Amino acid sequence: MGIAVIGGGVAGITAALDLADSGYKVYLIEKNAKLGGKVAELAECETGIAPRIVKIENHPNIELMLSSEVEGLSGSAGDFKLKVSGKEIDVESVVLAPGYDVFDSIAKSYAIGHPNVVTALEFEGMLRACTPSETGQLVRPSDGKPVKRIGFIKCVGSRGKENEICSTACCGFTAKEAWEVKERFPGTEVYIFYMDIRVFGRDEELVAKLKDKYGVKYIRSRVPEVIPENGTLTVKFENKPLQGLRGRGQSPRLENGTVERLDLDMVVLAVGLLPSKTLGKLAEIMGVKTDTYGYLETSLTNPLETNVPGILACGTATAPMKVRESVAQASGAALKAALFSERTELIPGQEERKFIEVADKPLKIGVFICGCEGEVAGAVDLPAVVEHVKHLTGVASVNGETTTMKEALEAIESGIVDQGLTRIVVAGYSPRLYEDLFRDACAKAGLNPYLLDMVNLREQVAWVHGKEEATNAAISQITMAVERARYLEPVPIERYPVIPKALVVGGGVAGMNAALEIAQAGYEVYLVEKEAELGGGLRENTELPSGESASDVLKEFVEKISSNEKIRVYTGATVEDVRGRAGSFRARMKGEDGGEEIDFGAAILATGAREFVPEGWYGYGQEKKVVTQSEFEKMLAGGHMDATTIVMIQDGIPGQRSKYSGIQVVSNALKAKALKPDLNVFVLYQEIKTYGKWEVLYKEAREKGVIFLRYDEGRPPAFQEGIVSVYDVIFTDEIQIKPDVVVLSPAMLPAEENEQLSTMFMIPLKNGFFLEEQERPKLVLTPVDTVNEGVFICGSAVYPAMVDEAIAMSSAAASRACVLLAKNFLETPGIVSVVDDAICSGCGVCVDLCPVEAIELVEEPVSAVTFGVMTVLSGKKTVARVIEGCIGCGSCASYCPSGAISLQNFKDQQVFAQLDYA
Amino acid sequence: MSEKKIAYHPGCPSATTAMEQDMSTRAVFEKLGIELEELEDWNCCGALEAEDPKLVIALNARNLALAERKGQDIVTPCSICYYNLARADQALREDEKLRAELKEIDSSLEYNGTVKAKHVLDVLVNDIGLAELSGKLVKKVNLKVAPYYGCYLGRPPETAFDDPDDPVLMDQLIELIGAENVPFSYMKTKCCGGPLMMTRADIAFEMARKILESAKKAGADCIVLACPLCGMMLDAKQPDIEAAFKVKIEMPVIYITQLLGLALGIEPKKLGLNKNIIDTKKILEKVM
Amino acid sequence: MPIKTWELDPNFKYEIMNEPGGEHLTACYQCSTCTLGCPVTEIIPSYNPRKIIQMSLLGMRKEVLSNADLWICALCQTCTARCPQDVMICELMGAIRRIAEEEEAAGNIKIESARPLFEKAFLHTLQKYGRLYDMGLALEYYPNREGSKIKGMKAMMKDYKDFGMRMFKKGKMGPLGGGGVFKGMLPEKIKEREVLKKIFEQLGEKEK
Repeated sequence: MGIAVIGGGVAGITAALDLADSGYKVYLIEKNAKLGGKVAELAECETGIAPRIVKIENHPNIELMLSSEVEGLSGSAGDFKLKVSGKEIDVESVVLAPGYDVFDSIAKSYAIGHPNVVTALEFEGMLRACTPSETGQLVRPSDGKPVKRIGFIKCVGSRGKENEICSTACCGFTAKEAWEVKERFPGTEVYIFYMDIRVFGRDEELVAKLKDKYGVKYIRSRVPEVIPENGTLTVKFENKPLQGLRGRGQSPRLENGTVERLDLDMVVLAVGLLPSKTLGKLAEIMGVKTDTYGYLETSLTNPLETNVPGILACGTATAPMKVRESVAQASGAALKAALFSERTELIPGQEERKFIEVADKPLKIGVFICGCEGEVAGAVDLPAVVEHVKHLTGVASVNGETTTMKEALEAIESGIVDQGLTRIVVAGYSPRLYEDLFRDACAKAGLNPYLLDMVNLREQVAWVHGKEEATNAAISQITMAVERARYLEPVPIERYPVIPKALVVGGGVAGMNAALEIAQAGYEVYLVEKEAELGGGLRENTELPSGESASDVLKEFVEKISSNEKIRVYTGATVEDVRGRAGSFRARMKGEDGGEEIDFGAAILATGAREFVPEGWYGYGQEKKVVTQSEFEKMLAGGHMDATTIVMIQDGIPGQRSKYSGIQVVSNALKAKALKPDLNVFVLYQEIKTYGKWEVLYKEAREKGVIFLRYDEGRPPAFQEGIVSVYDVIFTDEIQIKPDVVVLSPAMLPAEENEQLSTMFMIPLKNGFFLEEQERPKLVLTPVDTVNEGVFICGSAVYPAMVDEAIAMSSAAASRACVLLAKNFLETPGIVSVVDDAICSGCGVCVDLCPVEAIELVEEPVSAVTFGVMTVLSGKKTVARVIEGCIGCGSCASYCPSGAISLQNFKDQQVFAQLDYA
Repeated sequence: MSEKKIAYHPGCPSATTAMEQDMSTRAVFEKLGIELEELEDWNCCGALEAEDPKLVIALNARNLALAERKGQDIVTPCSICYYNLARADQALREDEKLRAELKEIDSSLEYNGTVKAKHVLDVLVNDIGLAELSGKLVKKVNLKVAPYYGCYLGRPPETAFDDPDDPVLMDQLIELIGAENVPFSYMKTKCCGGPLMMTRADIAFEMARKILESAKKAGADCIVLACPLCGMMLDAKQPDIEAAFKVKIEMPVIYITQLLGLALGIEPKKLGLNKNIIDTKKILEKVM
Repeated sequence: MPIKTWELDPNFKYEIMNEPGGEHLTACYQCSTCTLGCPVTEIIPSYNPRKIIQMSLLGMRKEVLSNADLWICALCQTCTARCPQDVMICELMGAIRRIAEEEEAAGNIKIESARPLFEKAFLHTLQKYGRLYDMGLALEYYPNREGSKIKGMKAMMKDYKDFGMRMFKKGKMGPLGGGGVFKGMLPEKIKEREVLKKIFEQLGEKEK
């Protein structure tokens, strides 16, 4: 049978690929005529997702059902019958990923219909269009004049009457669009109007950078109207009082920040997300529940499961969220769906490959120039390029006919098989994104995949040059590639077995969940926790915001772990000394069990985060009445409240707060109010980050009488002699409160062991948290993958995540690990350094230079060395040896004083030939 | 529209400051073959001066009950009367306790929510409909018009029957009769200042001036509106505004029923076009 | 002067919420939608509805109730229509104004606006006749506003001299337009004035 994935957007694509890559039959059902969903409409993201779409279209295990509607479902988990556009398919499980729709009843007050007022999604289209080969400038659609000032208005169609909840993604994508504007058109003034900046983790750094480095103005006002006047668009906002000009306390009470006007050339509306319009119908067909807001109902501790076993949900159909989170959920849901299914298909790339011997064959270079659906064909005079390239030495054939990736791939395969081509040059797509696909095509046709060179005609030629220049540049670059191709040699590819076991570092919720899922998928797991017991950060909480008891949740996890015989738990233990590569790692354990060595094919780092102890902040540690939110949560659990006035200080301590932090503030405030309704609760804040559906908790807190006071950036509250004083931006005056309890929200810090794990697993850290493999500057499509293949990250080890997110991410990491563990063999990497023992002098410079410690000095027996007429018989010689872990960076090859080291596929001759032409 | 009789609540200004609105409303409906039956003994809706919502509801329960006893929907040409009638209607439909309470005060306040309160503009465009109206047009009115809606047609959302920020019903009528709407969208729904006239005339005048000057800047021959309070501010007070700011505006201001009446071929005098304070002669010249 | 919260009235917000129209006060999240769209703020920059709300939430009872800005709301409903949290600001202002009037009647504050006087005069004519009677309204309002009959008459003449003449000329008042010599100058009375009397007795403002 198989698994149905419903929805061909970024989530559906991710789920389908994870499943198909691990040998499951997938039916990918999309109601539109093409794949990609909303992400494909985003300028930057289209580039990121396109290779995956090509992969899907060529995947032997995926049956693509486009323009197809789900009409009915019968049966139960393990044996569903799904009716799709009149056809019936048998599947064991279903992944729902139908995505979202954009809020479309925008108030007319935003000058809707004016050409210079666009939604964020439309603006992506504009960014995509204004490449150098087009206008090269960001211009006003109304008259083509350059945009000097642009304003982004957030929360249009969210956090309001028509759509109660927060759309979560807008703060991040607005920041990214602002960043792109500033990067590409630095002279443009950018204004962002917001209510709360709800960004987390890396996006928080981006916003700080936008404010400090790029000069983007963040202005707190929910701008209600855009006034088209005199050829510009005017917005009004409430300015902050001019500090310093007016002495504190001198200003009359009722005067405050004045309403200012600003003329803009363009306005971008960061329009909210809504459940897909067809979601209700789909849910009804599938028999799954939806929540108050029309999203598929999932829970905090089971974020990927619907009420129907065997039907999983992911992405923006469950809640508004960012691409990163959608993709993580999709991977996680894929693995959960796989647990209901039987693997029936072959895993691609597992068959033994035999390559044509090219050494004795004449040089026949095939050049394939792809029009890239007009993007290259429109900017470059292709026939002229073909005509020129045709006459280059060694070129046997030139194909300038293909326009799509699929056509290009097919042309290459038949070129190798039918025309006996021995070297391939592909010109068109970016090698960074597509090299793997073209290498696979070569290999499939029997050519060693390293006999390929690529030229990026799209990003590096078409997008950056005018037409005449572009044609010349294309000819030059292709000629260079041909010169190099002439000297390309086959790189030997060896296979090694995958160890079907996983290591999970960290025994919190994320680690436990990952371990359980991998074990359920049938692989053995080593779960390593440095503390004496499992549980991690959740042990600090009494109750989850869903009302579930934290200890009950933990207990259930721990019981499942201990009763699972595939999981071996090491508590009070750490990992030392990791060696090897994806599929075949070895590590030594340190702990009660001594120095045991374990072998595994994949590793998941789920080390969590820890709360900063705010010693000295607002008198914490000295004054008894100053506590942290976690401590206050425990006080609340006591069930009585003696205080009459409570002050919560949300952003008073620098650092990165967890996603839970904003939710914790309102939920603790509510709990306190429930215990004592006439309690005075003041929340002093910069941003209340109750993203998504948590927005309603914030509203409830206000309705119950919690007072929120926003203080000025850079003027945090003070607590002295029993009085909290806070400068309020609306009153332009100080507000003083006499609290009985002061509650602090400390920042979250990365786990201490991250530093060491980072070195061992070769995964970079950012501010102490693990960094995912980033493919594109504007979106994360691989949220749990890292630069080190086979090592995955999840939960608060990446950024301080919310429980449901940590669980979804850990399912994703488990899924990614299982895709790898499902394989029997992996191939050794081709582009690695090799040492010519005969030339190597054993100086050892390379050993110090290697960033990944993949070179060592060894004693080699030397049989005979001939110097001119003299033959020296010698015993031993010290030489460098490249060992496992080489990442092909080339540092050693470029530095080697005797020229003994070369980098496979980038040998001197190959590179020099290319450079000679240039 | 199937109903040929509607209960008519003319509103207090119909007797004095907004006579021409009343005259033209009656004339237009007569021409359209719909009988407006003036509600006998109707009372003031409380305008915006009765601030207690419950008092407003009680006052209008009486008017609604009068119409209900006749079995007719109640229509008014005044935006404020409409707002008060409509919110009273809504509150009474939703609140059984309130209904009982009012009945307790006086049996004549018993209203059971079987009729609807409507504004004349709503009846013209949505009930009678543009198609039927267009069949009855006999003249083309070659005017540039600034359609001014004011507050209570599109706001608040509970009683609104047009878009709060870009209402269109008058625009549609204006286009239908062959006149042209000047670009006026931002000013369409701005407040005329009327409610502040008696207590803060300085603010009220400034608000009205902005609207008048925008219409002038947009090249309008006249402003068309649908509320007697707006009419009073923009038309009757226009000379005072001119004097206060030492400006010349001279912008004719007429009611939508007057404009429609012209297109329906009704005699200008019957439409009260001689009653508007700012001279309307220039407008009449453009009726063909 | 710093605002000392312990000197404020934390129950003020609930007092407002008990008044019809004030029910949604605490939903406010201070986004400034109301202030930014307000046509009065455009003219009187110090007028800031969102600040009045925040003061009310904090419990600045006296400052709010004696704030003259309460009385310059034009009742245009723009804020109510746009408020993303459905605070019904227009109605909320009315609720606060009514509390202020009670406080003034109790002798606790002095309202710096003529609007309550105008509203009272309006309601008096309504109660008496069932319809609006401009002349009667003005004859009550102006003297009250100006503090004496003579001053009141002067002020009234100033406001109405030209306006009245315009009305007269066009026949909207007086003999020229038909409807009697005293058209618009005498009250129009409804028949069932008894009902109105009952309504006002039961629901009218407390001081009457």
